Amino acid sequence: MFDSFTQPVSRREMLKKSATGFGSVGLIGALQQSGSLGTASAGTVSQLDVLPKAKRVIFLFMNGAPSHVDTFDPKPALEKHAGQQPSGKLYKPSKGSGFMPSPFKFAAHGKNGVVMSELFPHMAQCADDLCVIRSMHTDVPNHEPGLLMMHCGNLQPIRPCLGSWMSYGLGSENQNLPSFVALCPGRPVVGPQLWSSSFLPGEHQGVAVDTNNLDVEKLIANIQHPSLTRKEQRTQLDLLLELNRRHAQQRQNEAVLNEHIQAMELAYQMQSEASQAFDISLESEETRRMYGETPFGQSCLLARRLCERGVRFTQVYYVTKNGKQPWDTHTRNNQKHRELCADSDKATAALLADLKVRGLLEDTLVVWTGEFGRTPYSQMDKKEDLEKAGRDHHHTAFTTLLAGGGVKGGFTYGKTDEVGMDAVENRVHVHDLHATILHLLGLDHEKLTYRYSGRDFRLTDVHGSVVNDIIA
Amino acid sequence: MLLTCKTPLNRFCSLLLTAVATLSLVSSGNLLADEKVEFFESKIRPALIEHCYRCHSQEYSEAKGGLTVDTRNGIRRGGDSGPAVVPGKTDESLLVEAINYESFEMPPKSKLPPETIAHFEKWIAMGAPDPRDETVDPIVARKAAEIDWEEARQHWSFQSPQQTTVPDETENRIDYFVDKRLAEEDIQPNRPADDKTLLRRLYFDLIGLPPTIEESQEFFELAKVDRNQALRTTVNKLLNSPRFGEHWATLWLDISRYAEDQAHIVGNNKALFFPNAYRYRDWVIQAFNLDLPYDQFIKLQLAADLLTPEDVSDDAALGFIGLGPKYYRRSSPEVMADEWEDRVDVVSRGLLGLTVACARCHDHKFDPIPTEDYYALAGVFASTEMWNRPIDEAAEVKKDGHAEDPEQALHIIRDKNVHDLNVLIRGDINTKGEIVPRRYLQVLSEGTPQPYTQGSGRLELADQIASLDNPLTARVIVNRIWAAYFGAPLVSTPSNFGHLGTSPSHPQLLDDLAFRFMENGWSLKWLHNEIVTSNAYQRSSDLNEKAMAADEANINLWRMNRQRMTVEQWRDAVLSATGQLESAIGGPSMEPDSLEELRRTVYSVRSRFELNPLLAMFDFPDPNAHSARRVETTTPLQKLFVLNSPFMVAQADKFQQRILNSAETEEEQIDLAYQILFHRKPEPDEKDLAQKFLATADWTQFAQVLLASNEFLIID
Repeated sequence: MFDSFTQPVSRREMLKKSATGFGSVGLIGALQQSGSLGTASAGTVSQLDVLPKAKRVIFLFMNGAPSHVDTFDPKPALEKHAGQQPSGKLYKPSKGSGFMPSPFKFAAHGKNGVVMSELFPHMAQCADDLCVIRSMHTDVPNHEPGLLMMHCGNLQPIRPCLGSWMSYGLGSENQNLPSFVALCPGRPVVGPQLWSSSFLPGEHQGVAVDTNNLDVEKLIANIQHPSLTRKEQRTQLDLLLELNRRHAQQRQNEAVLNEHIQAMELAYQMQSEASQAFDISLESEETRRMYGETPFGQSCLLARRLCERGVRFTQVYYVTKNGKQPWDTHTRNNQKHRELCADSDKATAALLADLKVRGLLEDTLVVWTGEFGRTPYSQMDKKEDLEKAGRDHHHTAFTTLLAGGGVKGGFTYGKTDEVGMDAVENRVHVHDLHATILHLLGLDHEKLTYRYSGRDFRLTDVHGSVVNDIIA
Repeated sequence: MLLTCKTPLNRFCSLLLTAVATLSLVSSGNLLADEKVEFFESKIRPALIEHCYRCHSQEYSEAKGGLTVDTRNGIRRGGDSGPAVVPGKTDESLLVEAINYESFEMPPKSKLPPETIAHFEKWIAMGAPDPRDETVDPIVARKAAEIDWEEARQHWSFQSPQQTTVPDETENRIDYFVDKRLAEEDIQPNRPADDKTLLRRLYFDLIGLPPTIEESQEFFELAKVDRNQALRTTVNKLLNSPRFGEHWATLWLDISRYAEDQAHIVGNNKALFFPNAYRYRDWVIQAFNLDLPYDQFIKLQLAADLLTPEDVSDDAALGFIGLGPKYYRRSSPEVMADEWEDRVDVVSRGLLGLTVACARCHDHKFDPIPTEDYYALAGVFASTEMWNRPIDEAAEVKKDGHAEDPEQALHIIRDKNVHDLNVLIRGDINTKGEIVPRRYLQVLSEGTPQPYTQGSGRLELADQIASLDNPLTARVIVNRIWAAYFGAPLVSTPSNFGHLGTSPSHPQLLDDLAFRFMENGWSLKWLHNEIVTSNAYQRSSDLNEKAMAADEANINLWRMNRQRMTVEQWRDAVLSATGQLESAIGGPSMEPDSLEELRRTVYSVRSRFELNPLLAMFDFPDPNAHSARRVETTTPLQKLFVLNSPFMVAQADKFQQRILNSAETEEEQIDLAYQILFHRKPEPDEKDLAQKFLATADWTQFAQVLLASNEFLIID
């Protein structure tokens, strides 16, 4: 149908323009297709790929930062030191009454005895799939920079996020769906910067879906025509394609014109595919109940549907209608953790179990984390009102969970000190986590670069080491 | 000499380890295996810098324990306790003991990660390959004195642009250079575009809007008699249209990372937002419409307050700096250091095409820009503050002179706390190097640049940038404007004219245009006119096999590049087709996908926090940083918008109303629609297709097909 004219594109140009072609195949695919692999000069993308263990990521984000000492990092010594003020130059005397033991009981679960608190009865059933990193640390104990670090590997809002890098590197598994979706009821703190592609081509930006209303028509912008039937729209599209073909023929079928024609056809296809993918009403009652009938539970279910259909990166934010960072438990830490964990535990465990049953867990990496941890000591507005005691932001130690996607299951990695103040053994910085996630996906974090403003940028900047010990 | 960069904060930093390794090798004269050096460069040197230099380098007067590890000899000689590294012998290397906390415990703060320890052990076992010589690591202290400035200034873009002597009979100097090259390459250029194509191109390129039916007819009639005359008349008319400034302002707003808010918002606190930012945008539009000379345009944006202290009418221009990002936790010094970087970046990349911000943490790896130069410029901005100047006398004013309410303020800058900065070693706010006076870049100065003496130095800096002697300023803007017309710049890295940028495809042409641009009083309208009246601009965009075989990428300009409309051109064209576009100039910004908003797209809110989805979808640049050039993507999400969005459905309806109200028969209606959208009548078979479609579907559906078509979206 199209003659032999092809639009001249340099390799750089191709990567930048990345129409339907590149967008769907990713950097590696594009290089292979164009024959540029191996001859690449800028960067050293020729060795981008390591053997991938995971194809997809579901990133569950607990906005506000869960308390590690109440969840996955038991600190019995807090009993002994209860009431003592923290020391060390990083720590000012606390606003509360010193170290505060967790009221929750911890126990080991699964074959390898992964320890977690009683707040996670469902996750306990999945213990053998969990890889618990207790030695996480980040740079700043404030939400905005903390969120940006966890998402974009940088404290200031000017970098592409992990999902965009992944989409850029791997492209889409399903050409009828976006490769990167962010699910959130409303907006988390910081907002769209968290799924920004920044200087990467715009198609790698996360498609943000407001999960306040799970009705499929409300979920995706412009997914359906407000009045035309599918048949009417097909007739309309056929005329449009015919006019566009004639237009292109008169212009020697220049490739760029063809790209627009393909993108139009794809958009049409996406209407039905995405309508299906995003419609959780197609799930059984039982399944919906298993995830929990909460916004987070249902979003996890939606994430599974998307992942199943080849969406590369699905980010699920634990945000509520009334709270952009519900896990930010400056007051009533214990009570709030009880409630939040009940919801998160059920949904996360359901997701893991569901993925496993469907054979998806082995190549889907699930991440469960906050932006940092919470202080092992208390924070109180009114003295000695234990009921109201909270925990403050804490960045020198926290816990991140991984599951599936080629990580060791039933495994606990790293240690914090006696009271959970500092990660002391096998420390894992956020940059290391990013490097490891990219590694699991077959991307070398030092080689996944993008040239912008005359420089090659990476997700991990000049940092990060792959944590090989946690890889199965 | 190049090194890895170890800079947690620098956002313009890169790692080019291979280049680094190779260069280290050459300069040290050692014949080490590539991989070994690379191992040192990628694993060992960064670790030494990060964990050890602070206490064990020559830079610090007190090398603790007498040990320095920033040279090969230093680390091998060791300190008071003996050799730190014995090549090949991990057992005898004190360093290994120390990092394993066996005798010494180094670094004292916390043990190194196990993989780093393993790297050191592996490195020593392999013989401790170390390409460093006795000079101190340049990343720590390369002095400007080490740069051969005479040689550095030989780079093409640091030389003044030269005018070329051309034969007397030359009609158009642009064509002289382009045609000469085409002849040399033996490429036959395309013929001129037909009248319809040229007309559409001129209107969209000069004012960003389509011609009306009447304007089209007028042009076709004139062109029948004298096409050249028709061109000149039309160009004149368009250059003098108030729509001209509205269209070209978008280019400048991208360059100046214009925005009206901040990337984060804490709660609902909008204190850092810029509700009156639009006054800067309107100033830019007006400046372009009035053809404010470009040198003046720059000076006012950097220093209107210092240039005309009595007259505040141009102060809105200071939004160039004053609307920059304000980051979270502004009270802390490291955050302010990030903000200075933004200012240095927008000025250096935006106006000079130099990536000076790269030199924040280390000397520029590729250009002759030492770290001192960065801090000399950063000092200028560190000596200013973002000022919410009360907009009028009615505004409530705080003690410090800021308006109480940002709504009552013009968001500009003023000098405050004028001071020089210390070089921050490796960009670290806690590691202060020597103080550098505020001054200009050395490579662009004759001899040693003189310190600024008037306040922050903004006016002196502006004078140096907007100077006839500046080799970069004119070239950079000429290249940007050229790119907008041809869809491809002469220098394909419009914000990097340094060593990592590309050389111009037509160096003489760029020079000649830049030279004459300055000679013509920095008149942008002169430049626009010069470009669009060239034959090179007027060529058809057709492909032809022979030329394609010789020059597929059209480097030699044998054709015009086909271009997709920008989101501004596209939305404005749609609203103009439906007859709804409003002509009001200026005023507060609006959301472009709202059905109630009918002003031109240039009046859209530009948000750092959340860009309007319509803009974001169609490749609008992120206003968090200077944008060198828009990227063009074609995605299904764009097409979903065109197929289904309430905006497009409403526009299709408006368009069919207009058509049905203005023409009687179906045939006339189809004719009219084609004339409005494509400036031509439909071919008979196109009419057939249309009529067949309309037999089963309604006019709104047909209208949407035409508005969604490639012929509408793409400019030949």
